[in-house]
Amino acid sequence: MKTVTLSLLAIAVGLAAGCANVQRSRDLGNPDVSGQTLAEQVCSNCHGVTGSATSPNFPNLAGQQEVYISSQLHELKGHSRRDPAGFEYMWGISRTLTDKQIQELAAYFAAQKLRPQPIEGTTTQIDGGRPIFNVGIPAKGIPPCHSCHGPDGMGNEKFPRLSGQHADYLVKQLTVFQRTDERPEGSIMKTVAHELTPENIVDVAAYLQALPQEKAP
Amino acid sequence: MLRGALSRAIARPAIAMATFLLAALTCIPAHALPAFNRQTGQNCVACHAGGQFPELTPYGRLFKLTGYTIGERQALPIAAMAVASDSHVSNTSKSKDPSADFQKNNSLILATASFFAAGKITDNLGAFVQVTYDNYAGQSDSGSWHGHSGADNMDFRYADRVISPENDLIWGVTANNNPSLADPWNSVAAWMQYVPVPSPTSSSFIDGNTPYPGFAAGGNIAGLAGYLYWNQLVYVEAGGYRTANGVTGFMSAGVPKDEKTKLQGTNPYWRVALNKEWGAHSLMVGTSGMVADVYDDPLDTSDPSSVHHFRDNGIDSQYQYLLDPHAVTVQVAYTHDSHRYPYFLANQPVVDVDGNPLPNTNTNDTTNVFRAKGSYVYDAKYGASLAFFNQNGSTNTALYDPTPVYGNISTNPGIRGFTSEAFWTPVQYLRIGLQYTTYDKYNGASHNYDGAGRNASDNNSLFLYLWGAY
Repeated sequence: MKTVTLSLLAIAVGLAAGCANVQRSRDLGNPDVSGQTLAEQVCSNCHGVTGSATSPNFPNLAGQQEVYISSQLHELKGHSRRDPAGFEYMWGISRTLTDKQIQELAAYFAAQKLRPQPIEGTTTQIDGGRPIFNVGIPAKGIPPCHSCHGPDGMGNEKFPRLSGQHADYLVKQLTVFQRTDERPEGSIMKTVAHELTPENIVDVAAYLQALPQEKAP
Repeated sequence: MLRGALSRAIARPAIAMATFLLAALTCIPAHALPAFNRQTGQNCVACHAGGQFPELTPYGRLFKLTGYTIGERQALPIAAMAVASDSHVSNTSKSKDPSADFQKNNSLILATASFFAAGKITDNLGAFVQVTYDNYAGQSDSGSWHGHSGADNMDFRYADRVISPENDLIWGVTANNNPSLADPWNSVAAWMQYVPVPSPTSSSFIDGNTPYPGFAAGGNIAGLAGYLYWNQLVYVEAGGYRTANGVTGFMSAGVPKDEKTKLQGTNPYWRVALNKEWGAHSLMVGTSGMVADVYDDPLDTSDPSSVHHFRDNGIDSQYQYLLDPHAVTVQVAYTHDSHRYPYFLANQPVVDVDGNPLPNTNTNDTTNVFRAKGSYVYDAKYGASLAFFNQNGSTNTALYDPTPVYGNISTNPGIRGFTSEAFWTPVQYLRIGLQYTTYDKYNGASHNYDGAGRNASDNNSLFLYLWGAY
């Protein structure tokens, strides 16, 4: 009797498995799974279901420029972006995404609203970063961030939104731009970040992370 | 003196391991990744905190709870791992027969190897199946060792997830062979461990053989449980375990008949955990328990009253700070075990080695096990940890054993000590580690615990290992 019960249970599970709903799939190899489903079932694990990542290990994607998200996914899929954050986590996730899925993912996250997050830097750091964002460091030939990323740091197509991004993520990426060639798509940032000191990087990252509150009416 | 012994203990196997390491690094292609990595394409650090196994990151927990179904199903979802090790016991002189009591002391051995079949089966169905080969599982009458393979961790699960900006509910059903195996935190019985675990018969006093909070029914049984994980905040699991036989017999495959756990009826297991993640931090506080009736003789289950009745309750907690390149973890667990003996073992007369009567054996016993472990890993390469373990419980003359080295004349189960470890992971599928376990209490006493003059500290053990996976 016990064997029969367990066998029936196994069959039931098997049947249930066969009726899997593509609307809730985590299959990265199935082109029929929509970008929104992948965003909810897979991307949300690190980036949050609406693109607001709890851990600063992972970038916020909410309200990010659609063009930028799309280009990054292509860069990651093609392995031309090869910084640790990229290849450790994202090469695998992006390897079989279709162009359609990438476009849907980009549109999904671009349409989300960034959840208010705690300030991650100190007042001193934020104060130190403010002039770098607004006027740059003219003596070193460093242009202000807002000249490309917008007056509110919200980005502009291929220039990503920086406002509200996790400070630790920004520090790591600025360091990648400055010291490596692991993000060739952002080579312009290598020139921009070249003369930044480690303190400058921490300060401007803290300011950018706090920008939503800074610019709040 | 100690330094000289330690140097000798380390030097020879270290050279051999270094040679193996060099060969392995040369031979294994750089893209080599075990089964889950092949399925997701992600590095080990995505799921394992600082790359230290088996501890899971928040993402790893979700990967597991969603039934190992993230990624792309692999045609051949298999992987393997192997452990080479060398252990050194501090003092082998207080023994009548050191060659028998410390058989593989100071010997570099291929300790264990595991084969895995693991990964996504369908959108909702996944599995993690481990079969382990112990190269030193037993000895023949002539003294030669022989290896043996058996079922290790096995977890089959169906899972689904309903998620929206307002609600996130993961639910599933797991069929597994070890209570708490399905759990995604690593302070529970099945997962709070130093890995690799060596061949237990060859290294008697290393950490793998120290007390761990756990459930008396142990592994290699068959259970079915349902679980819910709501908003990554509340985890609830409940199920029951029975003897692994019939259609579930494979869950204890390879376990000798006289060592199998034979359970009476269905034995309940439950688990509740609260989880909170903020910034790079995560904290879980949980409790779990199991009630089990285990037959005294696995070969004779004809008498329904010949069972040990166990009631285990535990609390555990895990804290993680994960922000590349740093991984900090603290795990704490405590289990209280209540044990009622079958009638023919309770209240039995005992005499000591000189024939003097001791108090009769207990009808009931309690045992408490506490364990805490803290670890730090830098860049998923360099790691260190410190663990404290303490087992205490009721004194029971049933434990009386005047055998040198492994005996117990205090009749108390107390064992207390520390384990420290340093490891290096040059590449994610290879790790070399050095572990040192110290005791200030063993089998109920610090000094002369076996009645033959052996002290707890004589069991302090050094353990050097090389772990590899593919």
